[in-house]
Amino acid sequence: MPSKETRPLGILATPRWTRRRFLTTAFKAAGVAAAVRVVPNLSALPSQLSASRTARKKVAILATEVRKYSHAQHFIDRFLEGYGWHGRHHRPSLDLASLYIDQFPQGDLSRERERRHGVRIYPTIAEALTLGGSKLAVDGVLIIGEHGRYPRNDKGQVLYPRFKFFKQVVSVFEASGRAVPMFNDKHLSTDWQECVAMVEDSKRLGFPFLAGSSLPVTWRIPETEIRLGTPLQESVCVCYGGVDSYDFHGLETAQCMSERRAGGEAGVKSILAVRGGRIWQELAAREQTRKLLFAALARSHTCKAPPGHTISVPTMEWIQKCSPNAVAYFIEHIDGFKTAMFLLNGCVLDFTYAGLARKTGKVISCQMHLPMPPRQTTLADFFNPLVHHIEQTILTGTVPYPAERTLLTSGMTLFAVESLHRGQVLLPTPELSVRYQALPASAFWRA
Amino acid sequence: MTHLKQIAFVLESFALQTPGQQLLDRFLTGYPRDGAFHRLENCRVSTYVASPADNPELAQRERDFGLRVHREIHQAIAGADGVVVAWQGSGAEAKDELLKETLQRVDRGTRCFVHGALSASLAGAHEIERLAASRRAALLAGTPLGVTWRLPQVEIPKGTPLKEALVVVQGKSPAAEFEGLETLLPLIERRPRGESGIRKVQLLRGNDLWKAGEAGQWSWPLLAAALSRSDSPQGDPVMDGRTQDLAGLGLVPKLAREPRGWIMEHEDGMRSTILVLDGVVADYNFAVRTADGRMISAQIYRPPAPGEHHFTRLAEVIEGFFRTGRRPWPLERSVLIAGILDFFRNRAEQTTASIETPHLKIPYAL
Repeated sequence: MPSKETRPLGILATPRWTRRRFLTTAFKAAGVAAAVRVVPNLSALPSQLSASRTARKKVAILATEVRKYSHAQHFIDRFLEGYGWHGRHHRPSLDLASLYIDQFPQGDLSRERERRHGVRIYPTIAEALTLGGSKLAVDGVLIIGEHGRYPRNDKGQVLYPRFKFFKQVVSVFEASGRAVPMFNDKHLSTDWQECVAMVEDSKRLGFPFLAGSSLPVTWRIPETEIRLGTPLQESVCVCYGGVDSYDFHGLETAQCMSERRAGGEAGVKSILAVRGGRIWQELAAREQTRKLLFAALARSHTCKAPPGHTISVPTMEWIQKCSPNAVAYFIEHIDGFKTAMFLLNGCVLDFTYAGLARKTGKVISCQMHLPMPPRQTTLADFFNPLVHHIEQTILTGTVPYPAERTLLTSGMTLFAVESLHRGQVLLPTPELSVRYQALPASAFWRA
Repeated sequence: MTHLKQIAFVLESFALQTPGQQLLDRFLTGYPRDGAFHRLENCRVSTYVASPADNPELAQRERDFGLRVHREIHQAIAGADGVVVAWQGSGAEAKDELLKETLQRVDRGTRCFVHGALSASLAGAHEIERLAASRRAALLAGTPLGVTWRLPQVEIPKGTPLKEALVVVQGKSPAAEFEGLETLLPLIERRPRGESGIRKVQLLRGNDLWKAGEAGQWSWPLLAAALSRSDSPQGDPVMDGRTQDLAGLGLVPKLAREPRGWIMEHEDGMRSTILVLDGVVADYNFAVRTADGRMISAQIYRPPAPGEHHFTRLAEVIEGFFRTGRRPWPLERSVLIAGILDFFRNRAEQTTASIETPHLKIPYAL
């Protein structure tokens, strides 16, 4: 389960007048927009800024493994080879200066990339960050702790070393007296206290911290924006994949829309995660959620068809038949807002969203387009906008969305896993009182 | 808005994942539309299938959804508010006799949509146009390529002066060429005064194609822009997942298998190019240069099988056409495509020279 020593989100609740506390309070006083601004980068002193204008910035990627279609391969190759962006092949104006690779499985591609591009693989994280020297020598760090052979805990969570990598990076930052922007791929950790600690460290050291999934930033079909401040009542995501894996993507899909509701994100009050038959029992009493489930399915391009057909108009019976081992998370937010996420394996192979507007009853829906190789494509180009945002974060010191989103979706993921582990029980989640305000500009790919 | 009581399908054949099946099933069983599942209420669906008449897939639909399968065209289309005619495969190879028989037998005023080429020839297209007019049938032809989603969701603003356009497709002739034209014309017909018709056509293959690009006969920058929209580059990305600047690294000529390019000069001076590039990418992409030098590019998104939901977009357009009788695009687009395709097959393929095409001066405007 999540750490027993849970508490309301410390970064906003700690009563100490730390630098973090001072900045947070100052931002609160300055208003909503300022509350999610990035804390000024410790490295952004005037003299260093002028130097950075003339030199290309350097990036280090710390990854678990690099093989065809592993997450690290997608990120590393986009920095080394460039990627399609806004109608041209874009080459990042950053140099991938170093790699730390934790595992070298059969089919490893990191050595080939090292040879072909001259990007050095260092034996330790510290050396990758210092380029073999004694001080931090890069301007941005990516932690890609997805894929690889790592142990599972008794809840089935893969214990990827994201937090371990993160703390080693923080140690180098502290030893060097400066910190640089950091990106963490996917959820922060499988332990809530570690998730909180990561965001707290970013505030304490004042570095821009970007994290999460590509779902919030990929194409939307149709192109759909929820205007900031829209009165929303409920969000539903229908998707596929595993627990402690694609569930995070599904939660990010919903949360990047939900957080734009009037009043902003208020935090999560409780989570119930259920499987199979329990889902349909729960849904029987949730008419609005059922309606949104079908609205989301109406945006799917992969909804399974009956034999002899290519498309279907699904019914609840059909969904149950196609996806007998479905998983659903029912999440209640502190302000009464609701989120539901459905992993309908066997029924769909895409990510779709439907949200219900309060008062008008209007349903807003779209597909978050995730053309997955090799089934549909040869490239996982939904990483393009994510890499673009990482580049911009490192170049400008400004994040496109707050780390609190990923903190909250990480928490939703791990408390949902906990709910399943404890026998599909409703879990109160006072720890997840993570309040934040989305930025006016939505960051999804549309050009 | 007409209530639709009956929709008829006249199909060259019926098999899963063919345009005829994809469209018929959407009208028979329903389809997602505007974020909800949509069914035509109290609307009969009937069909005539040229071959084979006995088809277990059709029998299943008769049994489960009340599809009415007829052995004669006139039986299938009697009383229909709208008729969909669909050819095999991509629809590039029209069966004029089947369409003519349909038009001769439809009730006056019936709305008729042809999935695919309007005719196998320009003369045939004109004849069909006249026949439809004589029957007072509202006739429309096309494919999903002009109406499907684009990534990004760009539209050429109507009235935008355009200088040049390029589309990248794959496949055998004439299917690839047909789909290239179905992609191209919906984009460029939005320029001021609409489409002006084609003045000259040139086919180039292999090294001649690359040399022509280097000589500026078609635009490498437009090709680079179009390829930047692809999610399916071939070669090294297939091998190990890497991204790759196919155009910038000079890989396009190396990867392309039997490449061919059609360079068309329009009557108003615009130039457009269809590149059939098997082995380079596996999706359809375009780039357009406006007269003021801007480039607009996108992928023509074709969702995966078996759903192929670009047919959902087309079904929505066809339903709107059947309900209102208003054509969403002019029939002249399809007449011009039939003429160009006819010329590609019968004349242009025999030479690499640029050939004057006065008979393709078929202007039209939206």
